Amino acid sequence: MGVLMDVRDLTVRFYTQEGTVYAVNNVSYTLNEGETLGIVGESGSGKSVHALAIMGLIPTPPGKIESGEVYFEGRNLVGLSNEQMRLVRGKEIAMIFQDPMTSLNPVLTIGTQITESLKLHEGMNTAQANKRAAELLDLVGIPDAHKRLKDYPHQFSGGMRQRVMIAIGLSCNPKLLIADEPTTALDVTIQAQILELVKSLKKEFNMAIIWITHDLGVVAELADTIQVMYAGSIVERGPTKVVFQDPRNAYTLGLMRSLPRMDGTRTRLTQIEGSPPDMRIPPKGDPFASRNPYATERCFEERPPLKPVEGSDPNHLAAAWYDLRAILKKERENV
Amino acid sequence: MSVAVAHPEKRKNLENSDVILSVRGLKKHFPINSGFLIQRQVGAVRAVDGISFDIYRGETLGLVGESGCGKSTAGRTILQLYKPTEGHVFFEGQDLAMLGPNAMRQMRRQMQIIFQDPFASLNPRMTVGNIISEPLAIHGLYPDKRERQEYVESLMQKVGLNPYFINRYPHEFSGGQRQRIGIARALALNPKFIVCDEPISALDVSIQAQVVNLLEDLQSELGLTYLFIAHDLSMVRHICDRVAVMYLGKIVEMGPTDEVYDNPLHPYTQALLSAVPVPDPASKESRQRIIISGDLPSPARPPLGCNFNTRCPVVFEYCYHEPDPEFIEATPRHFVACHRVTEV
Repeated sequence: MGVLMDVRDLTVRFYTQEGTVYAVNNVSYTLNEGETLGIVGESGSGKSVHALAIMGLIPTPPGKIESGEVYFEGRNLVGLSNEQMRLVRGKEIAMIFQDPMTSLNPVLTIGTQITESLKLHEGMNTAQANKRAAELLDLVGIPDAHKRLKDYPHQFSGGMRQRVMIAIGLSCNPKLLIADEPTTALDVTIQAQILELVKSLKKEFNMAIIWITHDLGVVAELADTIQVMYAGSIVERGPTKVVFQDPRNAYTLGLMRSLPRMDGTRTRLTQIEGSPPDMRIPPKGDPFASRNPYATERCFEERPPLKPVEGSDPNHLAAAWYDLRAILKKERENV
Repeated sequence: MSVAVAHPEKRKNLENSDVILSVRGLKKHFPINSGFLIQRQVGAVRAVDGISFDIYRGETLGLVGESGCGKSTAGRTILQLYKPTEGHVFFEGQDLAMLGPNAMRQMRRQMQIIFQDPFASLNPRMTVGNIISEPLAIHGLYPDKRERQEYVESLMQKVGLNPYFINRYPHEFSGGQRQRIGIARALALNPKFIVCDEPISALDVSIQAQVVNLLEDLQSELGLTYLFIAHDLSMVRHICDRVAVMYLGKIVEMGPTDEVYDNPLHPYTQALLSAVPVPDPASKESRQRIIISGDLPSPARPPLGCNFNTRCPVVFEYCYHEPDPEFIEATPRHFVACHRVTEV
C-alpha cells in the first residue's frame, strides 16, 4: 500500500479579538491508500480544525495555516488557489459533516445536490448524472431512489440525510473520505446502520477514510489506526488493537478508563480531573500535565515529542516523558 | 484521574425499599391543529402513550430509547411540567393531578430536574449565586441574606465548585462546571427525587465520568432517588439499578439492569444493545450484531398492532392485527411487552 497523504508539521492558529488560539500545533502523520484512520479527541482538541485545514476550508481571517504541508499523492495542497482546491474537493477528497441538516441546502432537491459534483467533476449531462445519482442513493440504502431524487432534505429523517451526505461524498469515487463526527447526532441503531454501510463501501471502493469522533467504541469498531489528539497535538498513535491493549500516553489511558464497562462490572468510574487547557494560553510543557497523576517535573517544563514506543509495534507512537507501562506494572503489583 | 484502582461496588440492596413514585397509565398527547383563524384539532402526537411503573426509594431507574421515543416528555410529564392527557402520578401516595397550584408548588420542593444542555438551562444574565438561590427565594427559605449565601456556598462545595466563583456568570464556566451549577440548583431545596434528563450527553468524554461520579456520590450521601433519562446505554448500565426501555411512547421492557442487559427479551432491546459500539477492538470479530432497518415511525401515526412491527426482525402476522402486546412479568421483576414472548 502506498502513501496517500502526508501531513507535515501542520500548524493552524486563529487570530481573534480575545487573543490567538493555538488550534493545531505541529501535526504530522501519513495515511496509506485504503487505510481507515480514527481520530479521537475532545472538543477543542484540534481534530476538526486540522481536517478543515486539509480541505482548505479554514476561514481566513481569523484563521491561518501558520506552517506545514499536506502532500496528497505527492502534491502540496497548502497554498493552492481556491480554483485549484475546488477540483480537489469532492473529486479527490470528500468530507461529510456532523450535522446533515445544516450541511445540506434546504431549498434544493437531493437530486440537484448529488448531481452538482457529478456535472462539475465528471462532466456528465443531466440524464447521466441523474442515473448515477439514483444508483448512489440505492447504494447507500435509500429505497425508491429514483423518486426520492425530487425530494427536499426536510423530507428525510436524520439517518437518511446522513446517507444522502455519504452518497454525495462518494459520488466522484474520492480516494479519501473525511468524516467529521458523522454519527454523533444519530441514535445508536441508526449509527449501527451507517457503520455497517461504511464498512461495506470501504471494501467496495478501497478508499481511505479519516473518521473523526469522540467515541472510542466507534474507533474500535472501524479503524485500522487510532490517533489521539489533545490540545491541538497528536499525543498517541498506532494500530488500533495495539493502542487499546497497551496505551502509553496518560490521556489515552484516562479516556479508556473513564468509560463504563458493558460487561456488567460496576466499579466507580475513573475520572480525569480538571478540564482541557485554554488554547489561547497553551501550557508550557505537556498540555495534559496538570491533569495527569503520573506527570513528572519534566512534563511541566518541556513538551514531549511524538516518538516510537519502546517494546511495541513499530508504528506505535506516543508523546510522554514518563514510562506508562512501567507505572501500570508497578500499580498492578501493589494491588 | 485518580491513581487508586476503582473499588468494586456492590449493587444497592433495594429489596425492602418502599415505592416513592408510581406512574399509572400516563399519557401525553400533543394536539396537531390545522386551519387559519378557526383552529381545530386534526390529530395528536402520542409522545407518551400509556406508561406505568414504580420507582423505589433510593434507586436509580434508567429510561432509555432513541430520540423521539418520548422519554424526555415522560420525565417532564411525571413532574407535571406538562399536564398529562390521561393517567396518574403518585408521589409518596399523593396524586399530583389532584393538587391545587399552591400545594403543587410545595410538592415541587421534593422533585427536581437536571437538564441536558448546561448552556441553555442557565440564565446568562444571572450570577451563579443567584441561579442556585432562586429556588430558595421562590419558596421563601433562608430569608437571612448571610445564611442564604452560606448555604449556597455549601451547595457549591458539595458539587465540587469553588465558592469563590459565586458572583461569576455562566459563560465563565466550562460545560462540566455548568452542569455542576445545574445540579447545585436542583439540590437547593433538598429534594427526594430528581429527574436527570440526559445530564451528560452534552459533555466531553473526559468530563462525563466526573459528573456521573458526582451524581452517584450525592445519591449515597443524601439518599436521593433518580429517574435517569439517557440514550448512552453503557452509562445507563453503569449507573442504574433498574432500566426501562421505551419505544414510540410505550415501555417495551423493564427489569433489573443486569437482567435486561444479559438477557434481553424484546427484539427492540436486543437490537438496541447489540448496536452499542464496544471500545474493545478484540471483541469485534466475536460479536453478533442485529441491525434493525428503517427509522422510528412518526408518533402522530403509530402503526396498527404492535408498535415495533415496522422494524421488528422477528415479526409475524399476529403482530399486525392483534391489539398491542400486554406488558407481562416474564421472569421475576422482568417485564416485557411482546407477542413472541407471550406466545412461547
